[in-house]
Amino acid sequence: MRSVVVIGGGIAGTAAALAAARAGASVTLVDGGTGASVLAGGAKDERDWEDEPPEAPDATLAPLDERARAVVDALGGTRVTDRRALVVVTTGLVRPARGVDAALLDLASLPGGAVLVPDVEHGAWDARSLARTWSASERTKDRGLRFVAGHAKLLAHTEERSFADAELAARHDDDARLAWLAERLREARTALARELVAIVLPPWLGVARERATALSALMGVPCGEALGGVGGPAGLRFEHSRDRAFAAAGVVVLAGRASLVTRHADDDDHPWHVHVAKGRLDCDAVVLATGGILGGGLEYTPAGAYLANALPDTPRPLVRVTLDAPVRLGAFGRALAEPSSLFGGAPETHAWPYVREPLLDHAGVMVHDAGEVKGAAPGLYATGEVAAGPAHTWLAALTHGARAGDAAGRA
Amino acid sequence: MPLDGGPVDDAVDIAVIGGGVNGTGVARDLTLRGLKVALFERHDLGFGASGNSSGMIHGGPRYLLTTPGVTKSSCLDSGFIQKIAPHLLFRIPFLMPMMRGKQSGIMLELYDAFFRAYDDFQPLKRGEPHTRLTPHELLQLEPGLTGDIVGAMTFDEWGVDGARLCVMNALDASERGAKVHVHAMVTALAKAPPDATTGRSTGYVLTVRDVLTGRTSRVGAKGVVNATGAWGPLTAALGGLPTSSVKIRPAKGIHVVFDRRLSNYGLMTDSIDGRQVFLEPWQNMSVIGTTDDDYYGDLDDVRATSEEVRYLVQGIARIFPAVREARIVATWAAVRPTLYAFGPNEDRLSREHEVVDHATDGAPHVYSMLGGKLASYRLFAQEMTERIARDFAPSSVCTTHKTPLPGGDRAANDGLLARSGAITHVASRRLVYRHGSRANAIVHRILARPTERTVVCACEPVIEAEVRHVIAHEMARTVDDVARRTRLGLGACGGMRCAARCGQILEAELGLSPGEGQRQARRFLFRQARMRVVAMGPAQARQEALALAELRSTLGGREDP
Repeated sequence: MRSVVVIGGGIAGTAAALAAARAGASVTLVDGGTGASVLAGGAKDERDWEDEPPEAPDATLAPLDERARAVVDALGGTRVTDRRALVVVTTGLVRPARGVDAALLDLASLPGGAVLVPDVEHGAWDARSLARTWSASERTKDRGLRFVAGHAKLLAHTEERSFADAELAARHDDDARLAWLAERLREARTALARELVAIVLPPWLGVARERATALSALMGVPCGEALGGVGGPAGLRFEHSRDRAFAAAGVVVLAGRASLVTRHADDDDHPWHVHVAKGRLDCDAVVLATGGILGGGLEYTPAGAYLANALPDTPRPLVRVTLDAPVRLGAFGRALAEPSSLFGGAPETHAWPYVREPLLDHAGVMVHDAGEVKGAAPGLYATGEVAAGPAHTWLAALTHGARAGDAAGRA
Repeated sequence: MPLDGGPVDDAVDIAVIGGGVNGTGVARDLTLRGLKVALFERHDLGFGASGNSSGMIHGGPRYLLTTPGVTKSSCLDSGFIQKIAPHLLFRIPFLMPMMRGKQSGIMLELYDAFFRAYDDFQPLKRGEPHTRLTPHELLQLEPGLTGDIVGAMTFDEWGVDGARLCVMNALDASERGAKVHVHAMVTALAKAPPDATTGRSTGYVLTVRDVLTGRTSRVGAKGVVNATGAWGPLTAALGGLPTSSVKIRPAKGIHVVFDRRLSNYGLMTDSIDGRQVFLEPWQNMSVIGTTDDDYYGDLDDVRATSEEVRYLVQGIARIFPAVREARIVATWAAVRPTLYAFGPNEDRLSREHEVVDHATDGAPHVYSMLGGKLASYRLFAQEMTERIARDFAPSSVCTTHKTPLPGGDRAANDGLLARSGAITHVASRRLVYRHGSRANAIVHRILARPTERTVVCACEPVIEAEVRHVIAHEMARTVDDVARRTRLGLGACGGMRCAARCGQILEAELGLSPGEGQRQARRFLFRQARMRVVAMGPAQARQEALALAELRSTLGGREDP
């Protein structure tokens, strides 16, 4: 049986592991901990949503790649349909998304009418101001949606006022608490005395799994979260659904970090060796999915920021892979050069927000289309943010990861 | 100067252009003397050098040998500022280690004598006399120091939030009747036609554009003060005055800000080129500074560069290596309006100040304020005001040295405020630091509207009541303005968690069009990122990646702010 080791448990690595298992390989995934996927909110974009071409609101979209679809289905908890979703954001924005975490309220599926925004005393959730801003968006006006704030007592005691969103989301994993929430929402609806087409809540609907479906059933009207910022429950739900999917697919998860990837041509059985804290994993193929700078797969190394009396002995590249592996780094299709300075590069020339297409954002391991690492022996793949290119979005990383995993598991 | 005989929307005695510490100081003094004043600031109060200085009202020991008058007036005025705004000051004792060298023994004696002379001025500002430390004593006080140190001096200085000092002066003027306009850009300055019967001058007409709304208004004034710092020559040019009449030598200075306090004391040392650089604990953070370089760029967009950051980090890391590993959360950059001289090195330029009377340019009662320091702003404002008062309020006397600034009238009890408002003690202490006795009014808001106790910015921390207060009472109109007044979004998280919320509050308080709050938040985050990223190290790079992801997902980052 072909064996594959995937390094990195974010969305790209997860997709690669599930796709490789589906292709028939035995898969071990090395997971080093929290990265971008776990910090992300619940919007599942294929590219930066602002770059999406304008289209009719109900336009039918091209279906997902078959391998990506299989991963989305195996994961669960994410809704990607043939129509673009529309979500409200806790910052006041209304934005489209290719797919959404199933706990989010998808406005694209609603008829026109009033959406209740519960007025609850918690953190940045200012129902009146949000209702006003969301109602003023062209995107909601087009659909005849109107947001109305209505007083609701959704916190069980005053201490919950200072709880983080994710903590409150975890409380709603409990059925009794969810029923209590529904009861309070019913009171709010009665007090408002208005026909509602939906209810939008802060990001509080579950951590172990999404609770929007259950709440909607209790309320008889679609209920869902607004899209929150980093560190909300959407990322935690991703972790839970990932772990369930791995268990179902028989992917073995090893917590810890890989330090070195080597190839041994003389090892006919398993030419690739992945060194981890407690030994070595030998396999036929390796998928690097360690993330970008945020995930911890890439390290930005400006010597100058650490300048004291002594200069470094050798010039350093701007970016290096945190894992020792036979890869080349590049960006925009070209190999990365070392800056001609022992003090490191100048962020003014390569970093956001100084440059529109920042080098730091695009730097990564140079790969071919299906994720094979350029210049490396067969069997080494890279995907997600560690691969050079603009795969910062969730669905793009998933799609590419599924492709790389499938190739690694099949070849 | 051109003539402008059109109607005006408002008429005042004196128009002050510039909302830095000089402009707000003059506006306050003139108002206290009963004159009708309007102040125009094209950005925000404390936007330039005043809000991006070292945040010290130091006595200027640097100038003791060359211009002892500057040291004396700085110390004296620093003492007055303590009396009128005690809440806004915090003590920063400095350590000045001496590295072993050929003449280190002699240098120690020289510095000892030097600081003995400085001690004579210390009582003026309630400063402690200097002491001389052995290397052992020094390391006990500041264990993070390294290097072959032969001894050290200590001396005493005071820190201040420069932006708040400007806001407090403007607020006091405004509450006493002055009209303070922020984001109001003077686009033209003309002479009003002489009175038809007497033939005497009737003053000036200023055309002012509100930068945020685009609305234009016209204000008549009998006299004009150009207190626009490094922008001074540009302002003079608006009125057709020769730019050579406002001769300054603009010098850029930057600071690098760390996410927390790294040292117990301020540290003074030499940079690679022998200039004095420092590390100071400042409010909740540490700051290193500063550079001093001739500046030829755009004054509305002054930024630190990665080169300048490396220069400063290198200078401090020699004696205090922890700065190499610490996380940098911001850089400050601004341009000093130093008095003009061709020839001397930037560091040797005079820190004195000077009033230019444009009567010689055919514009009587038009003045420009050149130079100056944060520490002696009140004195400079007094000198300027006295020139104007000679013509417009001859019997008035200066009271700015004894009239408290807003909140400086009495002490506030932070423990009591924390309990009564049910906010954390840290939040109440920070509130009292910024607002003095007016912290009571802010906590009072919570009693009426309990939701306002919500923490908006957890880094500082800033509660919602304070955000609403500075919008309602301190002339804040943008997220940037709120940050300057409360330090919201200027901490370790860089505004990621609070900028959007602050935008929402602004939208509601000021009745802005929907979406304007988001736009402002985006603008703020963009501006902060740009200031931060030149100092980006590995740890910072991860946060930048997170900030960018957040901005892309929840606010949108494409639109150019």
